[in-house]
Amino acid sequence: MLEVEGLNVWRGATHVLKDVSFTVAAGELAALIGANGAGKSTTLLTLSGLLRARSGSARFGTLDLTHAKPERIVKAGLIHCPEGRQIFQSLTVAENLAMGAYVRGGRIAPETMAEIHTLFPILKEREGVAAGTLSGGEQMMLAMARALIASPKLLLLDEPSLGLAPKAVETIFDVIEALKKRGIPILLIEQNAAMALDIADRAYVMEQGRIALSGTGRELAGNDRVRQFYLGAT
Amino acid sequence: MTQYLFQQLVNGLALGSLYALVAIGFSMIYGIVRLINFAHGDLVMIGAFTSLAMVVGGVPWPLILLFVLVVGAMAGVTIGAVIFRPLLGAPQVTGFIATLAVSIVIQNSALMILTGQPRNFLFPAVMRERVTFGTVQASVTDLLIIGLTLVLIAGLFFVVYRTRLGVAMRATAENLTAARLMGVAVHRTILAAFAIGSALAATAGLLWGGKFGQIDPLLGFVPGLKAFVACVIGGVGSIGGAMLGGYILGLAEVLFVGLLPQEFSGYRDSFVFGLLIVILLLKPSGLFVRHVEERA
Repeated sequence: MLEVEGLNVWRGATHVLKDVSFTVAAGELAALIGANGAGKSTTLLTLSGLLRARSGSARFGTLDLTHAKPERIVKAGLIHCPEGRQIFQSLTVAENLAMGAYVRGGRIAPETMAEIHTLFPILKEREGVAAGTLSGGEQMMLAMARALIASPKLLLLDEPSLGLAPKAVETIFDVIEALKKRGIPILLIEQNAAMALDIADRAYVMEQGRIALSGTGRELAGNDRVRQFYLGAT
Repeated sequence: MTQYLFQQLVNGLALGSLYALVAIGFSMIYGIVRLINFAHGDLVMIGAFTSLAMVVGGVPWPLILLFVLVVGAMAGVTIGAVIFRPLLGAPQVTGFIATLAVSIVIQNSALMILTGQPRNFLFPAVMRERVTFGTVQASVTDLLIIGLTLVLIAGLFFVVYRTRLGVAMRATAENLTAARLMGVAVHRTILAAFAIGSALAATAGLLWGGKFGQIDPLLGFVPGLKAFVACVIGGVGSIGGAMLGGYILGLAEVLFVGLLPQEFSGYRDSFVFGLLIVILLLKPSGLFVRHVEERA
């Protein structure tokens, strides 16, 4: 589904991603964990076409992500729900959702909307208000709903739990699991390594721009190094 | 006295309409590329001379209006594509200087081609008549300017708040990166904002010529500056604010001249810029913007 091979990305004078290779298979939830500045977000931005690789390849089905325009990538179904939510604060909740359907003409099928409202009932109540007035948890739900409306064939989630209250984190993880059950492939970046490894089929640990470890979620959760550095075991 | 007041009111609204038409585009462009476009006023001049050329060529007036909209949009897209696109992401000062340069190039090219000689610009005779409402009168030109501006602004609000393009423009203005992640081709969206804003400014040029009866290659400077003031009054980046700022400025200008003794009327621009200073002191973010969002 997604195959990344020997990816090298520079940001200014900094060599951020060094020979990064990994895959996400159909129907799989893959987690990418690592410290701040390890290159996780850079990886996602490169996959979405917002940053360009200096060498290496990234293929999504038949699409070459290292050369395609961002709008082409979105059309192909690779949907990126960015770090810090990045909802459009001055637009209404309904307009934010319509932006999710932008590449398909901005129209949302009633059954898709019904599905979104089942997953996130709060968004139905808040339809007409400016998105900036929502709480952090609600904004995250809006960001995820906006991504889902784009009908992802692969969903990139960047730190969905960051800065949220524990209750909201739980809701977000429930939704991620629901999406996994529906067979939507997900590449998840998380600070909360324990929760991520718990639901991941496959996981990668990124350190200083390289993939340092990989395995199933369960394998990595049992790995001493991961336990020491990412799960806080002593 | 009522006739005098009424006439001043209509005159102020007409002038305010022209400022509003220019200010809206100014504000749209600032909102989406965060650059103050000092070449925006020159589109008023381009619109005025395009209209004059077609009047001389015998083109019917409704077609002239349509043509001016198209020429203005094309000129705006050219400025956007040639100047702003390569500068996207450059420091603000660079863009600012670039727009000043574009303005100077446009004005001096126009001087070379058209010479500095002012030319007469006359609306058809029917437009120069006055209509009577009971005891008061107003000029048809002023009424046309007010009416046409309202129609154009209504059209603009429809596009910006009710269409997919408009939602994408507002989304891009607020958060360029997120808009790209939604699959918005942001460069095209930015050029669309240039096209719409510039078409409005060029139409203001057509109406400007009709109201004042004379045009010259440097005529864009004053409306450009006043549009900037209108934007600051209303809150830069807000379309509704720019519109209201334009009307406030037009009315204030006419009232200063109308209500103060005759010998002060030569100072009308100092009153306008004085108003700007007062507003900057009291409410720097503009009268109609509740809070200013800083982009990270």
